Amino acid sequence: MHQVKMFDQRNWVKANLNYRKDSGSKAWILHRISGIALISYLFLHIYSLSPLSQGRAAFNAKMETFGSPFFMVLEWLLFAFVLFHSLNGIRIVLVDWADGARYQRQLFKYSVVIGLILFFAMGYIMFSHEINHLFTSL
Amino acid sequence: MFKYQHSSGSGSFSWVVQRITGIVLVIVLIGHYILMHYNPQSGHTYDAVLARMQSNWYRVLDLTFVVLGMYHGLNGVWSIFRDYKLKPWQTITVVSLLIIFGLAFTLWGIKTILDIPYVSTYSVVNLVH
Repeated sequence: MHQVKMFDQRNWVKANLNYRKDSGSKAWILHRISGIALISYLFLHIYSLSPLSQGRAAFNAKMETFGSPFFMVLEWLLFAFVLFHSLNGIRIVLVDWADGARYQRQLFKYSVVIGLILFFAMGYIMFSHEINHLFTSL
Repeated sequence: MFKYQHSSGSGSFSWVVQRITGIVLVIVLIGHYILMHYNPQSGHTYDAVLARMQSNWYRVLDLTFVVLGMYHGLNGVWSIFRDYKLKPWQTITVVSLLIIFGLAFTLWGIKTILDIPYVSTYSVVNLVH
Protein backbone atom coordinates (compact mmCIF):
# COMPACT_ATOMS: atom_id res chain seq x y z
CA MET A 1 0.00 0.00 0.00
CA HIS A 2 1.23 3.44 -0.83
CA GLN A 3 2.28 5.35 2.23
CA VAL A 4 1.48 9.01 2.56
CA LYS A 5 4.44 11.05 3.72
CA MET A 6 3.41 13.42 6.47
CA PHE A 7 5.02 16.78 7.10
CA ASP A 8 7.36 16.45 10.05
CA GLN A 9 7.68 19.77 11.82
CA ARG A 10 10.48 18.73 14.17
CA ASN A 11 12.78 17.41 11.44
CA TRP A 12 12.03 20.22 9.00
CA VAL A 13 15.64 21.36 8.53
CA LYS A 14 16.89 17.80 8.22
CA ALA A 15 14.20 16.95 5.66
CA ASN A 16 15.12 20.03 3.65
CA LEU A 17 18.78 19.11 3.62
CA ASN A 18 18.12 15.48 2.75
CA TYR A 19 16.07 15.73 -0.43
CA ARG A 20 17.83 14.60 -3.57
CA LYS A 21 19.62 17.52 -5.17
CA ASP A 22 20.07 18.01 -8.89
CA SER A 23 22.61 20.49 -10.26
CA GLY A 24 19.78 23.04 -10.45
CA SER A 25 18.93 22.86 -6.75
CA LYS A 26 22.61 22.87 -5.78
CA ALA A 27 23.11 26.00 -7.89
CA TRP A 28 20.01 27.57 -6.34
CA ILE A 29 21.14 27.05 -2.74
CA LEU A 30 24.77 28.05 -3.46
CA HIS A 31 23.54 31.19 -5.24
CA ARG A 32 21.68 32.22 -2.07
CA ILE A 33 24.58 31.45 0.27
CA SER A 34 27.10 33.29 -1.93
CA GLY A 35 24.65 36.18 -2.38
CA ILE A 36 24.24 36.64 1.38
CA ALA A 37 28.03 36.46 1.78
CA LEU A 38 28.53 39.10 -0.92
CA ILE A 39 26.03 41.63 0.45
CA SER A 40 27.57 41.16 3.91
CA TYR A 41 30.96 41.82 2.37
CA LEU A 42 29.68 44.96 0.61
CA PHE A 43 28.66 46.40 4.01
CA LEU A 44 32.12 45.54 5.39
CA HIS A 45 33.75 46.99 2.25
CA ILE A 46 32.01 50.36 2.68
CA TYR A 47 32.94 50.41 6.38
CA SER A 48 36.58 49.46 5.80
CA LEU A 49 37.13 51.97 2.97
CA SER A 50 35.44 54.87 4.80
CA PRO A 51 38.80 56.22 6.20
CA LEU A 52 39.67 57.16 2.59
CA SER A 53 38.00 60.49 3.27
CA GLN A 54 40.11 61.09 6.41
CA GLY A 55 43.46 61.07 4.64
CA ARG A 56 46.46 58.85 4.22
CA ALA A 57 47.26 58.06 7.87
CA ALA A 58 43.74 56.91 8.75
CA PHE A 59 43.50 54.81 5.59
CA ASN A 60 46.89 53.13 6.06
CA ALA A 61 46.07 52.36 9.70
CA LYS A 62 42.92 50.54 8.58
CA MET A 63 44.71 48.74 5.74
CA GLU A 64 47.34 47.51 8.22
CA THR A 65 44.68 45.13 9.54
CA PHE A 66 43.14 44.13 6.23
CA GLY A 67 46.48 43.68 4.46
CA SER A 68 47.55 40.87 6.80
CA PRO A 69 48.00 37.35 5.36
CA PHE A 70 44.90 36.14 7.21
CA PHE A 71 42.71 38.73 5.49
CA MET A 72 44.44 38.10 2.14
CA VAL A 73 43.39 34.45 2.33
CA LEU A 74 39.85 35.54 3.27
CA GLU A 75 39.92 37.90 0.28
CA TRP A 76 40.87 34.99 -1.95
CA LEU A 77 38.02 32.88 -0.54
CA LEU A 78 35.68 35.83 -1.13
CA PHE A 79 36.67 35.59 -4.80
CA ALA A 80 35.27 32.04 -4.83
CA PHE A 81 31.88 33.44 -3.79
CA VAL A 82 32.17 36.24 -6.35
CA LEU A 83 33.03 33.73 -9.09
CA PHE A 84 30.22 31.33 -8.29
CA HIS A 85 27.63 34.10 -8.00
CA SER A 86 28.81 35.74 -11.26
CA LEU A 87 29.02 32.57 -13.34
CA ASN A 88 25.78 31.13 -11.98
CA GLY A 89 24.19 34.56 -12.46
CA ILE A 90 25.12 34.39 -16.14
CA ARG A 91 23.64 30.87 -16.19
CA ILE A 92 20.39 32.19 -14.68
CA VAL A 93 20.16 34.97 -17.29
CA LEU A 94 20.75 32.41 -20.06
CA VAL A 95 18.06 30.13 -18.61
CA ASP A 96 15.61 33.02 -18.43
CA TRP A 97 16.35 34.79 -21.69
CA ALA A 98 18.24 32.45 -24.02
CA ASP A 99 16.48 29.08 -23.81
CA GLY A 100 19.15 27.99 -21.34
CA ALA A 101 16.78 25.54 -19.63
CA ARG A 102 17.73 23.07 -22.38
CA TYR A 103 21.43 23.17 -21.46
CA GLN A 104 21.42 24.35 -17.83
CA ARG A 105 23.17 21.20 -16.56
CA GLN A 106 26.12 21.73 -18.90
CA LEU A 107 26.15 25.41 -17.93
CA PHE A 108 26.43 24.41 -14.27
CA LYS A 109 29.40 22.14 -15.06
CA TYR A 110 31.09 24.87 -17.12
CA SER A 111 30.49 27.36 -14.29
CA VAL A 112 32.26 25.10 -11.81
CA VAL A 113 35.19 24.32 -14.16
CA ILE A 114 35.72 27.94 -15.29
CA GLY A 115 35.27 29.09 -11.69
CA LEU A 116 37.96 26.72 -10.37
CA ILE A 117 40.43 27.77 -13.10
CA LEU A 118 39.88 31.48 -12.40
CA PHE A 119 40.03 30.88 -8.63
CA PHE A 120 43.51 29.37 -8.80
CA ALA A 121 44.68 31.91 -11.38
CA MET A 122 43.60 34.68 -8.98
CA GLY A 123 45.37 32.87 -6.15
CA TYR A 124 48.60 33.04 -8.13
CA ILE A 125 48.11 36.73 -9.01
CA MET A 126 47.21 37.74 -5.44
CA PHE A 127 50.07 35.86 -3.82
CA SER A 128 52.57 36.16 -6.69
CA HIS A 129 54.73 38.53 -4.68
CA GLU A 130 54.94 36.03 -1.79
CA ILE A 131 55.42 33.07 -4.17
CA ASN A 132 58.26 34.81 -6.06
CA HIS A 133 59.83 35.84 -2.78
CA LEU A 134 59.69 32.23 -1.58
CA PHE A 135 61.48 30.94 -4.69
CA THR A 136 64.16 33.62 -4.77
CA SER A 137 64.95 33.05 -1.11
CA LEU A 138 65.50 29.32 -1.58
CA MET B 1 -6.77 34.95 2.08
CA PHE B 2 -4.10 36.30 -0.25
CA LYS B 3 -4.62 39.87 0.79
CA TYR B 4 -0.99 40.47 1.75
CA GLN B 5 0.68 38.35 -0.89
CA HIS B 6 1.83 40.15 -4.01
CA SER B 7 -0.14 43.14 -2.83
CA SER B 8 2.30 45.51 -4.51
CA GLY B 9 2.30 43.93 -7.95
CA SER B 10 3.73 40.78 -9.45
CA GLY B 11 7.37 41.68 -8.85
CA SER B 12 8.20 41.24 -12.53
CA PHE B 13 9.80 44.70 -12.69
CA SER B 14 12.26 43.91 -9.91
CA TRP B 15 12.92 40.54 -11.57
CA VAL B 16 14.01 42.23 -14.81
CA VAL B 17 16.00 44.92 -12.98
CA GLN B 18 17.75 42.22 -10.91
CA ARG B 19 19.02 40.59 -14.13
CA ILE B 20 20.06 43.86 -15.76
CA THR B 21 21.92 45.11 -12.66
CA GLY B 22 23.50 41.66 -12.34
CA ILE B 23 24.90 41.80 -15.89
CA VAL B 24 26.21 45.35 -15.36
CA LEU B 25 27.80 44.34 -12.02
CA VAL B 26 29.62 41.37 -13.59
CA ILE B 27 31.10 43.64 -16.28
CA VAL B 28 32.18 46.33 -13.77
CA LEU B 29 33.51 43.65 -11.37
CA ILE B 30 35.87 42.27 -14.04
CA GLY B 31 37.40 45.75 -14.38
CA HIS B 32 37.44 46.19 -10.60
CA TYR B 33 39.32 42.93 -10.05
CA ILE B 34 41.87 43.60 -12.81
CA LEU B 35 42.49 47.09 -11.41
CA MET B 36 42.80 45.95 -7.79
CA HIS B 37 44.71 42.70 -8.13
CA TYR B 38 46.60 42.58 -11.44
CA ASN B 39 49.42 44.49 -9.80
CA PRO B 40 49.37 43.49 -6.10
CA GLN B 41 51.62 46.37 -5.08
CA SER B 42 49.84 49.31 -6.72
CA GLY B 43 46.26 48.08 -6.73
CA HIS B 44 44.88 49.67 -3.61
CA THR B 45 47.38 51.91 -1.90
CA TYR B 46 46.22 55.36 -0.82
CA ASP B 47 48.21 57.00 -3.63
CA ALA B 48 46.76 54.70 -6.28
CA VAL B 49 43.22 55.47 -5.11
CA LEU B 50 43.97 59.21 -4.90
CA ALA B 51 45.45 59.23 -8.41
CA ARG B 52 42.43 57.37 -9.86
CA MET B 53 39.94 59.60 -8.07
CA GLN B 54 41.35 62.70 -9.79
CA SER B 55 39.23 61.55 -12.74
CA ASN B 56 35.53 62.22 -12.36
CA TRP B 57 34.82 59.25 -14.62
CA TYR B 58 36.26 56.94 -11.96
CA ARG B 59 34.17 58.67 -9.31
CA VAL B 60 30.99 58.25 -11.35
CA LEU B 61 31.87 54.59 -12.05
CA ASP B 62 32.45 53.88 -8.35
CA LEU B 63 29.25 55.70 -7.33
CA THR B 64 27.30 53.60 -9.85
CA PHE B 65 29.02 50.47 -8.55
CA VAL B 66 28.05 51.15 -4.92
CA VAL B 67 24.44 52.02 -5.73
CA LEU B 68 23.90 49.08 -8.12
CA GLY B 69 25.65 46.62 -5.80
CA MET B 70 23.57 47.69 -2.82
CA TYR B 71 20.32 47.59 -4.80
CA HIS B 72 21.06 44.18 -6.33
CA GLY B 73 22.18 42.74 -2.98
CA LEU B 74 19.32 43.98 -0.87
CA ASN B 75 16.75 43.16 -3.53
CA GLY B 76 18.26 39.67 -3.55
CA VAL B 77 17.92 39.38 0.23
CA TRP B 78 14.32 40.53 0.00
CA SER B 79 13.61 37.94 -2.71
CA ILE B 80 14.83 35.24 -0.29
CA PHE B 81 12.42 36.50 2.38
CA ARG B 82 9.62 36.56 -0.21
CA ASP B 83 9.91 32.78 -0.53
CA TYR B 84 8.48 32.46 2.98
CA LYS B 85 4.98 33.38 3.95
CA LEU B 86 5.68 36.36 6.17
CA LYS B 87 3.12 37.95 8.40
CA PRO B 88 2.43 41.63 7.60
CA TRP B 89 4.40 42.90 10.62
CA GLN B 90 7.34 40.71 9.61
CA THR B 91 7.25 42.10 6.07
CA ILE B 92 7.21 45.66 7.39
CA THR B 93 10.12 44.94 9.77
CA VAL B 94 12.30 43.21 7.17
CA VAL B 95 11.68 45.82 4.45
CA SER B 96 12.26 48.69 6.90
CA LEU B 97 15.55 47.22 8.12
CA LEU B 98 16.78 46.57 4.57
CA ILE B 99 15.88 50.11 3.47
CA ILE B 100 17.35 51.82 6.56
CA PHE B 101 20.67 49.90 6.59
CA GLY B 102 20.88 49.93 2.78
CA LEU B 103 20.35 53.69 2.55
CA ALA B 104 22.71 54.42 5.45
CA PHE B 105 25.58 52.39 4.00
CA THR B 106 24.95 53.58 0.42
CA LEU B 107 25.09 57.21 1.59
CA TRP B 108 28.22 56.42 3.62
CA GLY B 109 29.87 54.96 0.51
CA ILE B 110 28.82 57.93 -1.63
CA LYS B 111 30.16 60.34 1.00
CA THR B 112 33.50 58.48 1.15
CA ILE B 113 33.94 58.67 -2.63
CA LEU B 114 32.98 62.36 -2.81
CA ASP B 115 35.19 63.32 0.17
CA ILE B 116 38.42 62.07 -1.43
CA PRO B 117 40.34 65.30 -2.12
CA TYR B 118 41.28 66.70 -5.50
CA VAL B 119 44.97 67.52 -5.57
CA SER B 120 46.98 69.43 -8.17
CA THR B 121 48.90 67.47 -10.81
CA TYR B 122 52.18 68.65 -9.33
CA SER B 123 51.50 67.16 -5.90
CA VAL B 124 50.20 63.88 -7.36
CA VAL B 125 53.57 63.43 -9.07
CA ASN B 126 55.26 64.14 -5.75
CA LEU B 127 53.03 61.70 -3.91
CA VAL B 128 53.72 58.88 -6.32
CA HIS B 129 57.49 59.29 -6.24
